[in-house]
Amino acid sequence: MTLRDRLRALKRWRAPRRLKVTGMGRTFLVVTLGIGLGALNTGNNLLYLVLGFLLSVIVLSGVLSERVLRDLTVRRLLPDGAFAHEPFPLRYEVSRAKGWAFALRLSEAPGTVEGWAWVASVSAGTKEIVRADVVAPRRGPLPLTQVEVSTAFPFGLFEKSRTLPLDDLLLVWPRRGFTCEVPDSKAGVHVGDLGQSRHRDGSGDLLGLRELGPDEDARRIHWRKSAAVGQLLKVEREREDRKQYTLRVERQPKGDHLDRACEETAALGHLLLENGHEVGLEAFGRRIRPSAGHGHERRLLAALAWLGHEDEGD
Amino acid sequence: MRLVDRRRLRLRFRDLAALAAYIPVALARAVPLWVTAVFALAFGLSMAGLRPFARGRLWSALALLAMALVFFGLAFRGLLDLVVAAVSFATLVAAHRLLSEPSEPTNQQILLAALLLTAGSAALSGEIWFALCLLAFGTFACLHLGLTVVEGPVERDEALMVGPVFKQVSVGVLLALVGGVAFFIVFPRLSWNLASRRANPSVLGSTTGMADRVRLSGGGAIKTSARVVAKARLDPDPQLDRLDRYWVGRRFDVFDGHEWRGSGIAQPASPMIQLGTASGAYVTQRVELLPAYGSTTLVGLEEPIAFANGIRVSAAGAAPLLLVNVKGEEVRAATEAVTYTYMVISADGPRGERDAERDEATRLRALVVPELDGRIPALSRQVSGGERDPAKIARRLEAYLKSSYGYTLELGDDVDDPLATFLFDRKQGHCEQFATALAIMLRTQRIPARVAAGFFGGLRLGDRYALRAGDAHAWVEAWLGDAGWVTLDATPESGRRGQPPALWAALTDAFERVEELWRQKVLDYALMDQVTFVRDLVRPPRGARGSSPDDELRRPTPFTAPRLLVVLAGVAALATLVGVLRARRRQRLHPATTFLQRLEARLARASIAQRPTEPIEELSLRLTAEHHPLAQAVARASRRYLEARFGGRELSPGDAAALLEAIPPARPGVQ
Repeated sequence: MTLRDRLRALKRWRAPRRLKVTGMGRTFLVVTLGIGLGALNTGNNLLYLVLGFLLSVIVLSGVLSERVLRDLTVRRLLPDGAFAHEPFPLRYEVSRAKGWAFALRLSEAPGTVEGWAWVASVSAGTKEIVRADVVAPRRGPLPLTQVEVSTAFPFGLFEKSRTLPLDDLLLVWPRRGFTCEVPDSKAGVHVGDLGQSRHRDGSGDLLGLRELGPDEDARRIHWRKSAAVGQLLKVEREREDRKQYTLRVERQPKGDHLDRACEETAALGHLLLENGHEVGLEAFGRRIRPSAGHGHERRLLAALAWLGHEDEGD
Repeated sequence: MRLVDRRRLRLRFRDLAALAAYIPVALARAVPLWVTAVFALAFGLSMAGLRPFARGRLWSALALLAMALVFFGLAFRGLLDLVVAAVSFATLVAAHRLLSEPSEPTNQQILLAALLLTAGSAALSGEIWFALCLLAFGTFACLHLGLTVVEGPVERDEALMVGPVFKQVSVGVLLALVGGVAFFIVFPRLSWNLASRRANPSVLGSTTGMADRVRLSGGGAIKTSARVVAKARLDPDPQLDRLDRYWVGRRFDVFDGHEWRGSGIAQPASPMIQLGTASGAYVTQRVELLPAYGSTTLVGLEEPIAFANGIRVSAAGAAPLLLVNVKGEEVRAATEAVTYTYMVISADGPRGERDAERDEATRLRALVVPELDGRIPALSRQVSGGERDPAKIARRLEAYLKSSYGYTLELGDDVDDPLATFLFDRKQGHCEQFATALAIMLRTQRIPARVAAGFFGGLRLGDRYALRAGDAHAWVEAWLGDAGWVTLDATPESGRRGQPPALWAALTDAFERVEELWRQKVLDYALMDQVTFVRDLVRPPRGARGSSPDDELRRPTPFTAPRLLVVLAGVAALATLVGVLRARRRQRLHPATTFLQRLEARLARASIAQRPTEPIEELSLRLTAEHHPLAQAVARASRRYLEARFGGRELSPGDAAALLEAIPPARPGVQ
């Protein structure tokens, strides 16, 4: 390894633990310093005794917090879906091989998602699953590479943190905000039973049975019920008034405009799907055929989330 | 434990921490009594869950500010010690916060004030209780902080196990104390211990009260007190467990029939008092009158000839002591203080010449007889038996009283003539009655006599001799011509020393020994002790082998205290290291591998032979093929091992134990 490599490695090196003094800890340190000065100034042995105790408490804080952070295993449980700028639950499974851990605060690396989870205690051999309500700052694939575990145990004077490497990819869907342009009634392609003249001859939900009239479609006879009552009965079903829409997102560079377009498309798609229509997507040369349902909406959202981030999927 | 219980417990710990910090302050009795009353009231209300300042925060804060101005104004004007002012104010802050709405900042302020109180009491008190209170404060404060930390930033009403938290925090506190002691031992003392103060007479008050007169009708209850009131280091050290010598404090030469008084005249105060000269050997004593002593009269081994090098210690600190010679009566401290330390030189052997004792007027005053019952002179004459020699008369009277009268501490009510009642009616009494009877009977025979009061005894504690309050005693000094003033004691032997109950005396002795250690090893620990510690550690002094029997006896063992400490620390460090290495080794093994090792050991105990390179799954197959009775159990265990080792299905300790228990060890003789 050359000197340059060593320097680079040194630059990349981070302390395995980080220590932060809490507000109480700062006061404690000031008082300890004052008592130390008092002991040195007066030579009062009891002040030396108090000073020794306080200094031991400081050292012990480091030792006990190290015991808490050691032997920890953290697993991240990603949610099914997460919208940008909206809180979503991120779960962690925390376990340890031996001993107890107390007062753990789990959070993601800075710059990913904001929020934290709290674990009051974990004993050896048990798995604690805790939830953090976090917020993702942007749409798209979000690599989560490490979890920061910190504790102020035992005395709350210092907060010691440890970073655990843990790779996952969270796909953040675009926020479903306000949609500017709702398509008018003439837009879209009629699908389903809209061409049927009779309102109760659709293909939707069952409405009831009645006697088959003359010149009516024999394909609608419910043969089993007809056999049971001895006359021809016709099944009446609700007519489904559905339209097909294909939403388009114009090719454009990654940035706020694209994010805004994705958000509007997601909101519009959601609105249309909620109204019972079928929605498809054409974006950046990729096409998703119109369909309905929650599963299809997720496909649309995933496609919108990847727009502009295609190169990050490798 | 649910949230409500946890919250209550945390507040209890917080309050108890504040109390533990305040107790040494209260015992030092340096702060005004009303401050203690305020704190006690606040503590009681807080423990009862009452917080009157939760609403009136502004006016209570203003009142606190006003008190701060008052305290520090008094300190600025020199009317109040600055440390006392600071401690008083910290007490009021703690009390105020105790009565406020509990919150994290409030709790932290209480603990901070308690910490300041601890530091303040370290400056105000040197009592051993301080160490116990420091331990209690540390424990309660750390438990409170530990529970607060585990509670988290947002309180949740969910069950939480607090036992493991207590365990870890308690172990932490103990380790912190050990670390504190280690720091205390090794941190170099770069300054003189100028700020230590001796405590006030604590809650028990003072007991001896060397009074300026002796009333015959008083009781003798003090003889049962085991409290140590004075300690003295003697040079040369007589190396005795019990000294059993007279320690004189005052002399009384005027008797009015009911009580004795002194007639000395106070001389101007000076740092040193010379009472006479020693014609022979002398003994030097470094005497410390403890807070329990409660008098300004200085005592010394009979016969003191000089007092000097006095230091008085009060709440304001230590200061040189001026002495007042009340000629022929006592030597006393010019200023009242909590404790006194001084040096006294006493003639050891033939009595030295004392100016006051050559005084004719002193002898004449010691001949004055008050109006007496006529039977007393008659009894004196009868016992003297016509003897002319004053020394023989004195010995006869002393022996007569000692043998004919009983010793008791139980006395009746006041009587008109206590001396006659003692001699002719009750015929039993305590030392003051014996001393009075002997002195007056001597006077009736024209022998000058007076009563001396002080202590008789001296119990060795460490390298000092302790005097108990119960050792207080009265005896007689008679002028016997050429022999001068001679000590006579008519009190039976059994009544001279203190007579505390055995258990109480044993407890007091134990406490005194601990306190002596505390004083030597903690309060007076100095740079020289550290040097000695290090010197003993690295180069223990070696005695000259075989040079003399004494040197042989004095030769240090290889296990001096510092060396023993280091050896113990080394053993503890080694044990910890071995434990850590073992734990790491165990940690490196996969849990399933550990299970496999246990399984193989179990199979060996069940007399199932495993071939050298045979994996566990093959062994299982072989046992199944052989229709071995344990084949199924082994198959279950081996399959579970494979799942745990390679299938990612963890094996819980309970499952592992159950699987292993299914393979019982073979009974002897059964293959």
